[in-house]
Amino acid sequence: MKNYANRNQALLHFIVLPTILLTVGLLGGLRIDAQTGKFIFIAPPLVTLVLAILLGSLFVRAGAIDLHRWLDIEQPTLTNVSHLLTLLALFFASAQAFNSVLPETGLLHWMFSFFFLWTLWTNQFSAFDARRLLKSLIVLFATAFVLKHLVVAGLNAPEGGWIRKLASTLLQGIAIDVPAFAPITGYVSFFALALYVLGLLLLTPVPVRPDSSAVNNLAVREDALAELDQSAE
Amino acid sequence: MQRKFIQIAGLIWTLVYASIIVWIYATVPRSFKEVATNTQIAAGIYEINQERFNNGLTLFRRDQFRAARDEWAGADPAQRDPRTQFYIAYACYREGWGRVYDDDALFKQGLETVNRAISLAPNGTLVVDDPNLQMHTAAELKTELEEGTETSWNDLNPVKLFRKRK
Repeated sequence: MKNYANRNQALLHFIVLPTILLTVGLLGGLRIDAQTGKFIFIAPPLVTLVLAILLGSLFVRAGAIDLHRWLDIEQPTLTNVSHLLTLLALFFASAQAFNSVLPETGLLHWMFSFFFLWTLWTNQFSAFDARRLLKSLIVLFATAFVLKHLVVAGLNAPEGGWIRKLASTLLQGIAIDVPAFAPITGYVSFFALALYVLGLLLLTPVPVRPDSSAVNNLAVREDALAELDQSAE
Repeated sequence: MQRKFIQIAGLIWTLVYASIIVWIYATVPRSFKEVATNTQIAAGIYEINQERFNNGLTLFRRDQFRAARDEWAGADPAQRDPRTQFYIAYACYREGWGRVYDDDALFKQGLETVNRAISLAPNGTLVVDDPNLQMHTAAELKTELEEGTETSWNDLNPVKLFRKRK
């Protein structure tokens, strides 16, 4: 029974999680041309890399990733390399998740970038725990997704509809120079974001070590007790 | 032991998958078909569609240059075969050639294509032994296309009206 649990944990940690994060990296920059239906791969813009760094810092600050335990000098090299790759995959998945919900060009691109930067920067100074951070990120990405793939994309929709009317009213007077993509782009983006959230859910603050879950739990508890002591002082 | 095996497998898989993603973003395929073509190129097993190439050749000999170019484009979708690229450039030359003036757009397209053919050819030298052509090397074709796109006093020479298409 324990063997199965260990094996499944290892599979999840070393194969499933990197695969999910890399798939986000693949799909985050994928758009489908509205006219030809062909793929357009957009590499992550520089601003998304900055956003990913800020988000990574937030993960560490909120305790969603305990960097010292992910990369530990006392761990075997193979484990450290494996963890480093997973963290790199997380970084690129974060950049591509932002890329997926950022308008590609124009004023809206910079407006969205600014709001992301503002939110992540102010969050650096807030008290967060891992669960709250995850909830906050879901709301952040969901809002950006709705704005980009429903409101802005609605403006380019040939058949119009209520979204187009609403978006035209909301964005009256603003020059929208965002390229038009096929509606399936929204589905791809949704799938990528869903995978990203799933990846974050699977990400443990402390990597699980073989046959040492009790030791790990104790280590976490020790940290928690130390924090409690500090706050009491 | 089993955990170590999974760890090594995960490491290899992560590196391979990440390389595939980097490769996709570097080659920017426009469809699944292009993904397959790029894979063939990467594996070194890319070949042109000979049937479409022959169709293009038949059309070329009937002076249906645009149709011939379409066939050749389909025969060599990755634009990796120097011989096919040479023929596409030749079709641009023949269609764009004029007794009084040449079609600049077609000549420029031809020049780009013949430059591609030269860059793909081993040692940068490409010779096509086709008795139906009057220019057999990519260098000759390139010179002809370059001369067609340049503006000079020689363009006003009335003798030019008696020149022949190659």
